[in-house]
Amino acid sequence: MSCLIVQSDKTLLLEVDHPQAEECRRAIAPFAELERAPEHIHTYRVTPLGLWNARAAGHDAEQVVDALVTYSRYPVPHALLVDVAETMARYGRLRLVKHPTHGLVLETTDRPVLHEVMRSKKIHPLVGGRIDEDSVIVHPSERGQIKQVLLKLGWPAEDFAGYVDGEAHPIELCEDGWALRPYQRQAVEGFWHGGSGVVVLPCGAGKTLVGAGAMAIAKSTTLILVTNTVSARQWKHELVRRTSLTKDEVGEYSGTRKEIRPVTIATYQVLTTKRKGIYPHLELFDSRDWGLIVYDEVHLLPAPVFKFTADLQARRRLGLTATLVREDGRESDVFSLIGPKRFDAPWKEIETQGYIAPADCVEVRVNLTDSERLAYATAEADEKYRYCATTDTKRRVTEALVARHRGDQTLVIGQYIDQLDELGEHLDAPVIKGETTNAQREKLFNAFRAGEISVLVVSKVANFSIDLPEATVAIQVSGTFGSRQEEAQRLGRVLRPKADGHEAHFYSVVARDTIDQDFAAHRQRFLAEQGYTYRIVDADDLLAGDELDEL
Amino acid sequence: MSDTAEAVGTAEAAEAAVGSAAPRTLAEDLRRRGDDAVAALLRLRPDLLTPVPADLTQLATRAGTRASVVRALERLDRFTLQAAEALAIAPDPCPYGTLLALLSGDDGAPDVAEALPCAVAALRRAALLWGGDDRLHLVRTARDLLTPMPTAPSATGLGPTVAEATAGMSPGRLQEILAAAGLPPTHDPVSAVTALTALFRDRARMSALLADAPEGTAAILDKLTWGPPYGKAVSASTPVRWLLARGVLLPAGPGNLVLPREAALHLRRGLAHRKPEPLPPVVAPSARHEAATVNATAASQAFTAVQTVEELLKSWDAGGPPVLRAGGMSVRDLKRTAIALDVDEPVAAFWLETAYAAGLLASDGEADERYAPTPRYDEWLRLPTEERWAALAAAWLPATRSPGLVGGRDAKGRALSVLGSELDRSFSPEVRRQVLRLLAALDEGASAAPEALLARLRWERPLRGTADTVRAQLVQWTLQEAELLGVTGRGALSAHGRALQDTGQDPGHGAGQRQGAAEATRRLAPLLPEQLDHILLQADLTAVAPGPLRTTLAETLGVLADIESKGGATVYRFTPDSVRRALDAGRTAEELHTFLAAHSRTPVPQPLTYLIDDVARRHGRLRVGAASAYLRCDDDALLTEILADRRAAGLGLRRLAPTVLATHSSPDVLLERLRSMGFAPAAESADGDMLITRPDAYRTPPRSAPVPVPEGPPVPDETLLGAAVKAIRAGERAATAVRKPVPHSAGARLPRTTSAETLATLQAAVLKGEALWIGYVNADGAASQRVIEPVRVEGGFITAFDHTADKIRAFALHRITGVAQLADDPT
Repeated sequence: MSCLIVQSDKTLLLEVDHPQAEECRRAIAPFAELERAPEHIHTYRVTPLGLWNARAAGHDAEQVVDALVTYSRYPVPHALLVDVAETMARYGRLRLVKHPTHGLVLETTDRPVLHEVMRSKKIHPLVGGRIDEDSVIVHPSERGQIKQVLLKLGWPAEDFAGYVDGEAHPIELCEDGWALRPYQRQAVEGFWHGGSGVVVLPCGAGKTLVGAGAMAIAKSTTLILVTNTVSARQWKHELVRRTSLTKDEVGEYSGTRKEIRPVTIATYQVLTTKRKGIYPHLELFDSRDWGLIVYDEVHLLPAPVFKFTADLQARRRLGLTATLVREDGRESDVFSLIGPKRFDAPWKEIETQGYIAPADCVEVRVNLTDSERLAYATAEADEKYRYCATTDTKRRVTEALVARHRGDQTLVIGQYIDQLDELGEHLDAPVIKGETTNAQREKLFNAFRAGEISVLVVSKVANFSIDLPEATVAIQVSGTFGSRQEEAQRLGRVLRPKADGHEAHFYSVVARDTIDQDFAAHRQRFLAEQGYTYRIVDADDLLAGDELDEL
Repeated sequence: MSDTAEAVGTAEAAEAAVGSAAPRTLAEDLRRRGDDAVAALLRLRPDLLTPVPADLTQLATRAGTRASVVRALERLDRFTLQAAEALAIAPDPCPYGTLLALLSGDDGAPDVAEALPCAVAALRRAALLWGGDDRLHLVRTARDLLTPMPTAPSATGLGPTVAEATAGMSPGRLQEILAAAGLPPTHDPVSAVTALTALFRDRARMSALLADAPEGTAAILDKLTWGPPYGKAVSASTPVRWLLARGVLLPAGPGNLVLPREAALHLRRGLAHRKPEPLPPVVAPSARHEAATVNATAASQAFTAVQTVEELLKSWDAGGPPVLRAGGMSVRDLKRTAIALDVDEPVAAFWLETAYAAGLLASDGEADERYAPTPRYDEWLRLPTEERWAALAAAWLPATRSPGLVGGRDAKGRALSVLGSELDRSFSPEVRRQVLRLLAALDEGASAAPEALLARLRWERPLRGTADTVRAQLVQWTLQEAELLGVTGRGALSAHGRALQDTGQDPGHGAGQRQGAAEATRRLAPLLPEQLDHILLQADLTAVAPGPLRTTLAETLGVLADIESKGGATVYRFTPDSVRRALDAGRTAEELHTFLAAHSRTPVPQPLTYLIDDVARRHGRLRVGAASAYLRCDDDALLTEILADRRAAGLGLRRLAPTVLATHSSPDVLLERLRSMGFAPAAESADGDMLITRPDAYRTPPRSAPVPVPEGPPVPDETLLGAAVKAIRAGERAATAVRKPVPHSAGARLPRTTSAETLATLQAAVLKGEALWIGYVNADGAASQRVIEPVRVEGGFITAFDHTADKIRAFALHRITGVAQLADDPT
């Protein structure tokens, strides 16, 4: 009995407890996308994009078919094998190359294919004149666009046009007393080998260092795009600490400061600020001859940056994320514009290696009181979530949880400011929300890191990129509806490995029998698929103290 | 009827011929053949058997009829047909050597020499050829069919003989040709033609003749050599003139030229066909796989086939899609089925047609016709998997229905719908059998490309036009269908497919087919995947069945969870809806927990336990039922008393809550019975108001009162009276008017005035609004006199009130004979 089952919908089921599982995983990883990784059976999906990426990485259809046939427990449907071969054969029929006289040129080895794509209306504005039967000029600025369109047409172009090296700048990693972890090193190598692409690592697994590692190989000026100012400062801090860069070499380009240095860290917000119909700060992209562009939290990439990135195809691009799930379904745009996924590690695997803390995820189900239920039932549809997410009962449960974990560094995370303010008042803890100034935020975060404050109430401003290594307990009281990546990011806040190796606690307080519960189920899907098991606890038991010993 | 005469001969002649040197007719030839040969002929050409011929003469006659010969020729393989075509252009009778030369050419071809005896024997067997090897006769009808004619060019591309092409040519012209060709002159046209033919047949002399040809001749001859042999003389260029002068080209109708057969054969170096194909093209294997892999793949596909058909028909348990008026299933329903089965539409059509062919589904024949599974489906369900597969495969092989046609259009442009009536192609079973036969001829595990198979089939039985296109499609479809059904795996015939094929070759052989199916079943059984009795439960609320599940397990799980992915394994997802479905189906939460614990190889994850408990907790908390009336009372003791009362037993009262009882009896009955029991109930309206009770008054719908029927006619009203009087008056006036004397028409009954006068009088009358007396001739020519009050005169018509008719009407001006003013009222 082998360990792999090939389904007719092109998903692959891998039995992880099987002795051959690891071997099989290595064989299918180049072309199949890990979709779900719960405890017993991991699901991979074979997509055209995955197959083409495999081709780009030098695998051929025979290897793919061989891997499927070798490890499959049941005979692989013939049609599926034929489809794999046909899909892979589509790759590379078109090639983007640099022509000595014509500049960027789209070439083909298969004339009818070029004819077919040239008939598409979407290709038309992107190309110039025909050079001969087999090649056509492409406007250099449309390099990203044409790749994206060709991908959608099902004839992905192989890009041989190469990258510009950018302005050289010496950057070294200063590995004194620490070293890149093996998976970080693999991620850097995977990225560099592929040229551009996305690295997916769990929260707290050290994505910043992957960025630093990539910069150390590129040794050129680098533009780093991050979500907010606090995160920008953390990047700067980390870069100065871990690399040969000095404070003066790293600039911050944000709402408050506009420094352009060899390494510049800009926020998405400042880039997408629109004045009089134009984006004045987008020229930052052109202000230096950047050799590398790093996109932090690439799953949040805003639409205007997408558009601009399409024009930056000649520069190396590195996307970093923990959760490449976008509720807007634009994952494929990320892949086609930034680059394919170059490295992906399941959360549980990093956890087993000890680089992120094990987490105990608990869903606390709160029963609404009768009067609350009545009020919930009569609430307007668009107010329902807000109502059930902010009930009083939740506050009591949160207080009990905080009390339970007295002495641990605890974050209380929520969506609604009133609720947070009220919680802050009851818990006697400071609240960080949108209106809190950056200075104030940093002061509070520092106090929290130093252990001067043990409970911090935060709104969604703290969802991302806030490095709070000491946090061990997170209590989520409300969220952005059913956002899966938000849930994962919030869990990520407590996943930094603890000095004494004890596990982190993640509580999600949910109102039973309301849409809060439905949203929670959806939110948990990503983590559940990553292998995190939620325990469910009744709030009544919790309040009664029965469960306390167990916790 | 020459062919008939040839075939019949006379009995005496036949008798005399027996034992003598050569048969003179086909009948004679047949007579000399043994019974086996005649039986073989009848097997080859079954159409000769109906009705059974009385004797061999009749058989020979029938074998020579056009329809039968056409049919026989269509069934020849390419080389045998080539041999027949060569015979058709050879002299009759034709010695074997000549035929061989025509097919192998001047240079000789050993493979042709080897294959030709077989081809000749095949023609003989089919009674298309008779006579000894020294005198081969092609049956005259066949010869007529295959001889090149200007209207029906032959596959050989040869033209008419010199003799045929020169028929009707003037002797003088023939002389000129002979002279130009350097032949001795002769006055006899017949010997002239013979001499010319002999020259063309003589390779050496002919080569010498053509060697002197002017430049450009070769190019022209090249064009005509391999046919078509006809050309148009656009301009009388030197080479054309040269060729025409020597008879190498002969005129064929005005402006057309033809290359005579003998000359063409010279240029072809004696070959009747450009490419004689004595050997069938070899079907080369396109890929080779391990036989075990092929069998396993086919078996798993066979399993899928059975599952898919079952899934399809199960979804129709509550009634399938409606039957279109023209028969078949609508495109929309097909799409829906395809989505439900998670396949594309052509594949869904294939499953539908296969189930239909196997008799598992049919139209229910009700007034609003729908498709539904048949009782045979229930029998089929009870069979083991391998037998279920065999039933499908055995139905597929001989079926004439061709699912591949679905979605296309018929000759009239109507869409062909699945299960519709236009899908039968009688050729399908033959193609299926042939394709499987060719695949079976390959090594185990080897597959073949459709093109290679098609090339071979084209050799075995050349077809022309649409029939060939249809066959090409059928070959393609057969390969796809065989793969879907698991007869082949990875394109190669599987062990069970082979068994099916072995005995499936003979279409009329029912017992053989059954035996083949039984053998296929036996071979398939051990290859089928083992059915499992366990699943793996995961914390993300999915369950994975790592293989096919036992039927009962699969059924229960199918209710309890939604299927997310199918294939070798099945992935299920538990959702609140799916759990509720299971509870609705009568399961309890306890049962579900036990079920999962019993069948899961892994511990049941806590979220799943919670999911089931949560749904179960809410399930059935709201209850819905039907009641005709309720009884409520704030005093629950009183209700208890009523419930306990024996007299209330018939009311079927049920306690819903301490203060509410419900019943199936109507409110009236309830009220009455309660009253009779000595209570004082009050009725309640929908809003809860008390209804004031009073005896019900039965009312009709709105009705009007009856109209009185008085004696005699009704009294007329004023309007009517006025009108009547007016009419009476008018008639009176017209009849009795005292007229002013009218000039020119004194004494005439009708007034006569000139048209100018008429018009003037009429216009004046319009102005004054007075009545006139007119004479009028209607369309039928009848004259009348009327009194009118003109209203308007325009366009040749007068609009006026006609006192006689008592209404406004139009009078044509030209029909008015005259007008006269009325005399003043005498009163």
